[in-house]
Amino acid sequence: MKNTLKNIFHSPRFVVGFIIFVALLLTMIFYPIFNPGDPLERIGVGTFAKPGTYFSMYDATSAKTETFRLADAEENRINALLTGDARTRMIDWMSRHGDDVAGLDPADTGALMEAWGRYYEDVRLSGMTNADRVYFRRLNNSIVNSATAEELLVMEEDPETGDYAQKGTISLTDYVNTKDVANVKTLPLGTDNFGRDTLRELVSAAGVSLRVGLIAGIVATLIGLSLGLLAGYLGGVADDIIMFITNIFTVIPSFVLLILISYSISQEARGASLVAVVIGFTGWTWTCRSVRSQVISLRNRDHVNLSKLSGHSMVRIVLTDILPYIASYVVMAFILQVSAGILSEAQLSMLGLGPKTTETPTLGLMMNWAMLYSAHTNGSWWAYFPVILTITLISFSLNLMNTGLDQVFNPTLRD
Amino acid sequence: MKGYKKYFGKKILWFVLTLIVAVILNFILPRLMPSDPVASITAKVAEGVTDAAAVQAIYERYAEEFGINKSLFEQFFIFVGNALRGNLGTSFSQYPRTVNNIIATALPWSLALQFPAIIVGWFLGNILGAVAAYVRKGWDKVVLPIAIFINNIPAFGLAVILLVIFAVNLKIAPVSGGYSFDMIPNFSWPFIKSVISHYQLPFWSQVLITIGGQAIGMRSMSIYELNADYVKYSRFLGIKDGKIVGYVFRNAMLPQITGLALSIGTMLSGGLVAEIIFSYPGLGTVLYSAVTSADYPLISATTLIITIMVLLVTLFLDVIYGFIDPRVKAAQFDA
Amino acid sequence: MGKAMLEVKNLKTKYVTRFHEDVYSVDGVSLVIEEGRSLGVAGESGCGKSTLALSMMGYYFPPLHYMSGDILIDGNNISGLAPDTVRKTILGSEIAYIPQAAMNALNPTAKIIRFVEDVIHAHDPKKTKAEIREMAEERFAILGLPKMVLDKHAVELSGGMKQRTVIAISTILSPKVLIADEPSSALDVTSQKIVIKLMRELMEKGYIRSMMFITHELPLLYNVTDDIAVMYAGQLVEVGTAKEMVFDPIHPYSHGLMGSILVPEEGTRGTNLTAIPGTPPNLKRPPAGCRFAERCKYAKPECFFAAPPEKKFEGHRMYRCIFGVDELRDIYKKEAEQQ
Repeated sequence: MKNTLKNIFHSPRFVVGFIIFVALLLTMIFYPIFNPGDPLERIGVGTFAKPGTYFSMYDATSAKTETFRLADAEENRINALLTGDARTRMIDWMSRHGDDVAGLDPADTGALMEAWGRYYEDVRLSGMTNADRVYFRRLNNSIVNSATAEELLVMEEDPETGDYAQKGTISLTDYVNTKDVANVKTLPLGTDNFGRDTLRELVSAAGVSLRVGLIAGIVATLIGLSLGLLAGYLGGVADDIIMFITNIFTVIPSFVLLILISYSISQEARGASLVAVVIGFTGWTWTCRSVRSQVISLRNRDHVNLSKLSGHSMVRIVLTDILPYIASYVVMAFILQVSAGILSEAQLSMLGLGPKTTETPTLGLMMNWAMLYSAHTNGSWWAYFPVILTITLISFSLNLMNTGLDQVFNPTLRD
Repeated sequence: MKGYKKYFGKKILWFVLTLIVAVILNFILPRLMPSDPVASITAKVAEGVTDAAAVQAIYERYAEEFGINKSLFEQFFIFVGNALRGNLGTSFSQYPRTVNNIIATALPWSLALQFPAIIVGWFLGNILGAVAAYVRKGWDKVVLPIAIFINNIPAFGLAVILLVIFAVNLKIAPVSGGYSFDMIPNFSWPFIKSVISHYQLPFWSQVLITIGGQAIGMRSMSIYELNADYVKYSRFLGIKDGKIVGYVFRNAMLPQITGLALSIGTMLSGGLVAEIIFSYPGLGTVLYSAVTSADYPLISATTLIITIMVLLVTLFLDVIYGFIDPRVKAAQFDA
Repeated sequence: MGKAMLEVKNLKTKYVTRFHEDVYSVDGVSLVIEEGRSLGVAGESGCGKSTLALSMMGYYFPPLHYMSGDILIDGNNISGLAPDTVRKTILGSEIAYIPQAAMNALNPTAKIIRFVEDVIHAHDPKKTKAEIREMAEERFAILGLPKMVLDKHAVELSGGMKQRTVIAISTILSPKVLIADEPSSALDVTSQKIVIKLMRELMEKGYIRSMMFITHELPLLYNVTDDIAVMYAGQLVEVGTAKEMVFDPIHPYSHGLMGSILVPEEGTRGTNLTAIPGTPPNLKRPPAGCRFAERCKYAKPECFFAAPPEKKFEGHRMYRCIFGVDELRDIYKKEAEQQ
């Protein structure tokens, strides 16, 4: 036993898989301690806030300021204003206007600003809509303002009189330390379509998905193992009946069966655990087949015959003379079942047949939400990419562990 | 050949039994869902009608038409009777379109997408896997872990990533659909061009997925065969390595060919989710809309088509193997 | 003394595990098989006897690696030849091999005749298919195999037929040395006897000129081979004729093994070499002293430090122990009297 464990941890693949898996598991356990709260809580009113650190503008106005004169401040301000899209539109405007823009590099802010300052006038050029004209007017105003502005006024409305009173000014050189701002929120993965903290949701979803995979794996392995043991050990009619059922379940695609069963359970009744059980119930067939064929090859070994002659009960023979020999195999099959279970949940959820959406997030549901709200077409990568990566990492680590175990227990594979 | 007769008889009997079970499951399961789709059609049709009796009359007319006022048992035999005559009923959500019509429109799209993709992916994957098994060095340390990682990206994940890179960012392929949405299907050149450009992403995402699975399968199958006892024996008899590699790949290919047939059988269910991502007008998208609108005649029919296809391929394989595989032949001697 | 068909001098090979560890499973083996004689090699599983069989072919591929030593077949040293020369001129035609798992030794998807063609073409590309078929039919008939076997696939044959087919193919080029690695471990006792009879017949008829058996079942060796060598932890510990080895074993290990055979009451125990308590040493790091010392009930402290050399006695016999031959005989005699 000790030697087997040593061998397993000698397999580089198993070790890499194990480390990734444990790292994911530790994240699932410890992250909620640092960022507690309901993963489905809507903290944002809008959708898909970008990843980053947010601080309250209101609180910032009353925080202590420092004055810094930074050489590149103005350039940064203009660069932030001139997005790639704005730059190409500016060049487009100037060429329509009949100006010489050949050789003007859109990335060269100085030259672009210089040309713009020289040519721009508030007119509607041919082929332009009125909205376009307004766009350019606004763009020009902000460019001019950012170059000439000195400070912003902060006003406060008197609730009784409705008069505005000046509360303070913000000058171009005012800086606030984020530590002095009362409310700062870091969202490493932004918010999702419902304004939820994506990272918090993701960590919780990964945990739930892993639980779904584990339950599905346990159910599938238990059914497959017991039917396989029965069929292989008893043989005869019991074997025929079990194999008939197994064949039917093999031929009807398990995903189709999964769709049908999940559909027949209404959305309200579909909890994550129930979905997991259904996944396990449709995925046991190959475990059953392989356990059966292994048991058949073990059934007539000397030590089993000896036990039979000694009058040991069937349960005892199966537990002591057969199970230990197929244990390593069953463990490997279980690992694959867990990985398949996680994937099945994700696919079901993509079809809108996953667990109910009001209780807990799962990786599949997050993916489904992201797709429904077009996160992939509007550039909100943080809503779907980390989900794909998490699923991939979980199944990658499980598969690595599985092939690592295979190397140790099936030396003929020698890879 | 008495052995063959018995063998094929057994296979066909088994096929029929499985088909019956599959039809029952396909019929019963969607209908267990506690919802009343007829009520929603009635609501749509009777919009603005205030007279409760009139609404009730409309409801009953539809209930009669869909046969949902009969017992589930009666409904089943009507369903089977109709299905045998090739009539799969009327869709709830796309009323008055028939299920046959919807499936007949969607099925060619799915087949035309999946079949070539699986064939191309299968060939590329097997070549890659065989080379990998033979070369081993270098590949095993670096390329294999990367290949396993890519292979573990779920199919829908890969579809989304391709979509974002090529359609959204690089804008060299359309984002969704089977053809430009402002077109009506016809045999004109612009339409065909539009179909081809919409075809690329779903096609290549399926090809990539197939390559991954096949290459890794072929590699481990070949390595398994390379370590088989007959390889060692052949070597010690002085047979050339090139010839032995020939034995090995032939033997490794046999299960891969079964794999190809099986993936052709399961191609419809395998591509469901990717089709939804690309809003490709195939069965996946049909099933998705059927699920979201509780359209169980359509759900039954779609899943039934997918199941029958797998059943047919399995039967076909059993028959072919009965003829070509010496191992099956040998089993007939024993029986 | 007959002409030496196979002579192995101080052969050392190792194999490399998946975890890149070296296992020195053949660590300085020397032996001679003369024309018309058979040698049996016995040892516990893991003692290196199967690796010895493979190492003597002179053809190495991973995980097995050649380290040093000579292999002479009919006087010609093959250990320095290029692998491709060995393949073309030695394997199958000079020295042939019957693998442990005869059941899986044949390519499952090719007809037997195709495989025979490939074997013969590897050595003589000019032979026509008709000639090969004629040759194969003749040789198969000697082994009692019907002609139709040639046109069958391996999976269509019964276990006994497969075993004979493998013997027929291995000996089809009339090799000078035939090495059989537990040729019968997968068969029942009756089939085992038939296989051994067939191999002896082949030698008597002159199709093969010497042979070597490798097994862990001692009674089998006693009945069929002229000489017996006992292998322990990568080395031969004793060599002698079958009669000498059974009635007068010298090395404490062989004595432990053979002694148990001759006691009928303990017959069931004697069929298995693991009857001696303890486990053999790890061949990744062979011990510095005598390899058997840990399990030897006569071991003295120096046994653990100094490796005993091979010692010749009575002309042809060899053993590897620090005790003298008479010293050991006395010990065994006293033990027998005490019982």
